[in-house]
Amino acid sequence: MACFQRLEPMSKSLTNLWHPIASAEDLPYRHIFQGQLLGRELAVWRADDDFVNIWENRCLHRGVRLSIGRNEGLELKCQYHGWRYANRSAGCTYIPAHPADAPARTICNRTFPVCERYGLIWSGEDPTGDPPEISLLEKGRTLPLRSIAVNASLNLVLEHLANYRFSLNGDPGNLAVTTADYLDQCSLSVTATCDSKQSTVLFFVQPVDSNRSVIRGVLCSSPTDSERLLTLRHHSTELSHLREKVELDALKAPLIQPMTPTIEQVPITSYEIMMPSSGRKASLRVQVLRKWVTAEGIVGLELESIGKPLPTPQPGAHIDVHLPNGLVRQYSLTNAPGQGSLYRLGVKLESDSRGGSSCLHETVKEGDVLAISEPRNNFSLRRDAVKTLLVAGGIGVTPLLSMAHTLRNNKLDYELHYFAQTDGHLAFPEVLQEFGDAVVLHLGLSPEATSKELTALLLGYKSAMHVYVCGPGPMLEAARRIASEEGWPDTAVHFEYFRNTIEIDSSSSFEVSLARSALTLEIPSGKTILEILRANGITLMSSCEQGACGTCEVPVVEGDPEHQDVYLNDSEKAAGQRIMTCVSRAKSPRLVLDI
Amino acid sequence: MLKYRHVRNLGFGGLEHPVMNLLGNPEVCTNGAILDLWHPVVPTSEIEVGIVRQVVLLGQAVSYSLTAPGTYFAWRTDPAIPAGTVFMPSVVTENLPVLHRYGYLWTSLGDPSESLFEIPEYDEPDRRNIHAATIGVYCSAPRAVENFLDLGHFPYVHTGVLGIEPHTEVVEYDVHVDPENNELWATNCRFFQPMAAATSTTGKTVGYEFRVPHPYCCLLYKTSPLDSSRVDAIGLFVRSVAPDYIEANMFLSLLDESSSDSFIRQFQQLIFAQDKPILENQNPKLLPLDPRAETPVRSDKLAIAYRRWLSDLGVTYGVLPKT
Amino acid sequence: MIKLFDYILSVNCYKQRLIMSILDVPFESIPVDFYPGLEHKGEEFKKINPLGHIPVIDDDGFMLRDAHAILVYLASKYDPTGLWYPVNSPELVGETTQWMLFAEGTTNTASAARLHVNLGYEFDIDSCREGAHRLFRVLDEHLWFREQENRDWVCSGEHPTIADIAIFPDVILSEEGGIARIDYPAIRRWTDRVKRLPGFLPMPGIFPTADARPLSHEV
Repeated sequence: MACFQRLEPMSKSLTNLWHPIASAEDLPYRHIFQGQLLGRELAVWRADDDFVNIWENRCLHRGVRLSIGRNEGLELKCQYHGWRYANRSAGCTYIPAHPADAPARTICNRTFPVCERYGLIWSGEDPTGDPPEISLLEKGRTLPLRSIAVNASLNLVLEHLANYRFSLNGDPGNLAVTTADYLDQCSLSVTATCDSKQSTVLFFVQPVDSNRSVIRGVLCSSPTDSERLLTLRHHSTELSHLREKVELDALKAPLIQPMTPTIEQVPITSYEIMMPSSGRKASLRVQVLRKWVTAEGIVGLELESIGKPLPTPQPGAHIDVHLPNGLVRQYSLTNAPGQGSLYRLGVKLESDSRGGSSCLHETVKEGDVLAISEPRNNFSLRRDAVKTLLVAGGIGVTPLLSMAHTLRNNKLDYELHYFAQTDGHLAFPEVLQEFGDAVVLHLGLSPEATSKELTALLLGYKSAMHVYVCGPGPMLEAARRIASEEGWPDTAVHFEYFRNTIEIDSSSSFEVSLARSALTLEIPSGKTILEILRANGITLMSSCEQGACGTCEVPVVEGDPEHQDVYLNDSEKAAGQRIMTCVSRAKSPRLVLDI
Repeated sequence: MLKYRHVRNLGFGGLEHPVMNLLGNPEVCTNGAILDLWHPVVPTSEIEVGIVRQVVLLGQAVSYSLTAPGTYFAWRTDPAIPAGTVFMPSVVTENLPVLHRYGYLWTSLGDPSESLFEIPEYDEPDRRNIHAATIGVYCSAPRAVENFLDLGHFPYVHTGVLGIEPHTEVVEYDVHVDPENNELWATNCRFFQPMAAATSTTGKTVGYEFRVPHPYCCLLYKTSPLDSSRVDAIGLFVRSVAPDYIEANMFLSLLDESSSDSFIRQFQQLIFAQDKPILENQNPKLLPLDPRAETPVRSDKLAIAYRRWLSDLGVTYGVLPKT
Repeated sequence: MIKLFDYILSVNCYKQRLIMSILDVPFESIPVDFYPGLEHKGEEFKKINPLGHIPVIDDDGFMLRDAHAILVYLASKYDPTGLWYPVNSPELVGETTQWMLFAEGTTNTASAARLHVNLGYEFDIDSCREGAHRLFRVLDEHLWFREQENRDWVCSGEHPTIADIAIFPDVILSEEGGIARIDYPAIRRWTDRVKRLPGFLPMPGIFPTADARPLSHEV
């Protein structure tokens, strides 16, 4: 038998090893397993798509254990304030105290690597290399044993396991002679021989904390159904006996201080939390995994990350796609938080394409690599409505699909009204089917008939209802007008424009003072505020640069803005407290901005 | 039957396995900012005349008693005067300062100010002042106070009672430090409640004010269901037994005329029992004062101010000070 | 209507509320000022129960005390399926009784530790906790093997019994007594299953869990 002490000097640090931290059967759907490795507690949960998430067991907000929260299938919901975190990315997708705001992308749980192998879930604090491949377990069929938690240190448990004895036929009165071999500093194999028959169990000891361990055994054979339970019971009983002995020894041994894993600091401070944190950067690289025609004139694109996992797709979010021809275009994500590790887009070929949609339709093909920005969300979904109406015109359905997924997953009341020319123009028909009766189609309507339908569906506003509209300009204008006539407050009506159809007048000239930067700049005619700010070294986020997306918004301290965007609603425009720096200008000679 | 806990148990993490109970010691407070304050000992309604009783305050054993004429005594526990024995004032060699206020016996292990913070409502003639319960919790005093100052958890922790989905929004409110008394206040707070008080049956938006006059004591004022021009006061007065174990006293000063004391107490106990598993599942157990330790959002304005206020006061007991 | 002499934070009273909610039996809760009033120790209450403890039920004049006895009565009388207290099967009723006695053990250890921490009851806290961990180890192993046999509940039938109802409250509130369940993954899964029973009712300190994954689930 190899001696543990001899192995130690050349061994890897425990933090750099892969350890089993749960059994596969510990993770039924909609359950959160509470685990611990090297002192750090883990919340481990299997999503409805079978992805296993291993997160630090504390909500970033106030440190509450996530294992007392809820696994809602594609999101985990904290029990304290209902914060939701997405499957796979672990990004925060919703903060109920601020239902109208998209959580900052930086709010993301600490995740740990995961591998499901040999009926065990493997992870590590900071493992180097690939998860272990164990030839004994690769060869044939295996049977994971019931795990046994022990109040003793890793080394003490290993010492006792090296003397573990068991029977080949499950008879406790007939324990076989065993031999043990260490595989590494946390695992060993124990082989029992009896009447020329052999049985081997591999034991992986999980170092839970200084004085606590879990024995995870895997039998290197697969007994018949009738022997299976007997075998499992036999090992559970014998390992429980072993545990009693180990724990008696542990009481005699000097106690080691519990481990104190460090909790990472959050990346930014409080009041910056809701502020955008990056400019117009194509920081992500994706590969086109799939491209297909989903409806007449519309292609679907699935983009898969190259390298680091993609940030959480919040409902309503869009990305900038940097096209091979140098153009930058915005497209909404159609998939919801936790739904896959890819982004799904729908792109309509515009008849007057300036080279954006035509490039994606004609040039870009499966396997191509594209640069995209991190998702931005200026059309975020509240989840506190008593009822949500989603109104889509044509390709405007794309952000509303991610919203519909989210509302359905959260079991909230919603309707998706989809206006399109014919059913051949309906994008992602297979996705629409999933929503069942919540989808109402309005096909082939004239502008007048569309207005009539909008009036019908916007009738009967009640407090805490919200409507989200995305579609062509004239339809949005109509919806905006009708909603107002039907008594919907501006705060309950949410829009996303594809583009700004207002004719931008950039003839005025004025002065802009920056309150926080103590800088005064002249904006001449023909130049935008955004351009002049950038020319003076001030980094400001922007996206569409035509007053539609809301990304370049800046607070106004003083002065009278001349709004030329379609992002702000009428009351927001009248209030004059915010301005879209890409298109809007000043009526007063001077504007003071809070930057 | 009831015993005033004088055995200080280890923090939650250490309790999980008997073997761990041998580790660590009760942490005796050496933080002047805390030692010099008045701290609640027990509700006076539970003090028996002429018997010595004992609690732990800030890691130190403190004994107390009451004489027949109605004088309260407190002293650092002396093995010569064991708990449960008959009390004779003459045997106490060194008395601790005492106050009898708001239904509680208060003492201090340092050099306290002359008086305790004022609760003007307490002395209004038409109010009922009720001690609802003393409940032990494995958490730090500041974690308990911060939770008491929080609206956003109502729909999730006090579901159907103090809040309910989808009414989850915390609207903008105001925070200030009252310069005269150095008390922290939050005003103009509003939140939707499906059952605004023990006496309510329907939901409505209720107004609140929060007040923190002491690092371990806080009050909330909410619109009275009976008279919208007046407020009910609910207080949380924490005795910190150890940095990570408290006994929380709940105090009410209400305009309610109809409900029985027992009903009001049970309602308040229900609310507190709903918070308990949250408080006992926070990691770290001590309140981190570094602004980057956790992730506050706008609705946490009061919590942010509370953490800063504790820092400014020099509080180090029950918190993880800024590094 | 059944009257339940009740205290909102008592696990033994909660057992009755839970089974009546599951069986859809209407009842009236009569609050007893258990703490700090000690009403159950008063002379008035001793006319209802001379032992001075709760719960007690009054079902149209029929008075019954002791949590687990009341569970037997309520299930026998108000469960027309006979599955919650399966008297028709000698094996199952034997198992149910066995696990109800186990629940006496969890009450006297885990729930006693909770009373000590919450309300300062005088118990030997270390022995309560050690005792609870011993019982939880037995229960976790038992439930793990139940799962291997595709069974969800403590007794060997397909349907839950009052034994599940008797054990669940002591277990789910154990952390309040300083008894963590991190080492008992099979117990943790079983508590999720109990929380998903139709008619499940929480008590303060217990949070509901997420709904089960729909059978025909597309992601």
